[in-house]
Amino acid sequence: MPSVSNIRNRIRRLRFDHDEMTQEELANKAGCTRQTIIALEQGKYVPSITLAFQIARAFGVALEEVFQYEEQS
Amino acid sequence: MAPLQKRALYGLAFGVIWTVAIIVVFIFKGGVSTFNEDQGFRLIIDGIWVVGIVLYGILMHTLLRKRSQVDERDRLILGRAPLVQLWAVILSLVVWTIVLTEIYWDQGIPPIFMYLVLIFTLVVSTVAQSIGILIGYWKGVSHA
Repeated sequence: MPSVSNIRNRIRRLRFDHDEMTQEELANKAGCTRQTIIALEQGKYVPSITLAFQIARAFGVALEEVFQYEEQS
Repeated sequence: MAPLQKRALYGLAFGVIWTVAIIVVFIFKGGVSTFNEDQGFRLIIDGIWVVGIVLYGILMHTLLRKRSQVDERDRLILGRAPLVQLWAVILSLVVWTIVLTEIYWDQGIPPIFMYLVLIFTLVVSTVAQSIGILIGYWKGVSHA
């Protein structure tokens, strides 16, 4: 079973790569609240597959470029 | 702070004030025996808890009017809050049952306590929902 700790994301990096997109802007594009973006960036929340796709779409990249699953040894 | 979290915080503050108001009025107006005999006193307590529930509902509705203010993480937290509510209600009923049974073992529990247990359980249930939401934000939730 995957846990919060082994699913990483590059949301913060991608925001800065996209003209320093604000958390609010990303939240509006992805259809969630800014607090959820904050929780995602802090690694405290793993989104549903729907929100994960919406975030990837907001950046115009593939899902795997935003979220990575790391197998724990 | 997420809108739902803010709502829960206001709900908790309101719930605490509401509970204290009921307890203070109840104690200062004479307690259980007066409550049992004085209809005016019972109506005052009825007024406080019924108006309290209505005000709570209005407050909750006003603070979170738009559906867009709540996203999947909030809904996940909201969905788990009833567990805290359930435990709070069970715990309060256990406490009431043990305390009333032990105090009134010989003479039997006065029926008016059924009414007090109902009021108390409703208040506990309302406040516990806010606590459950706040615990959800504090502990965090996840789809994984």
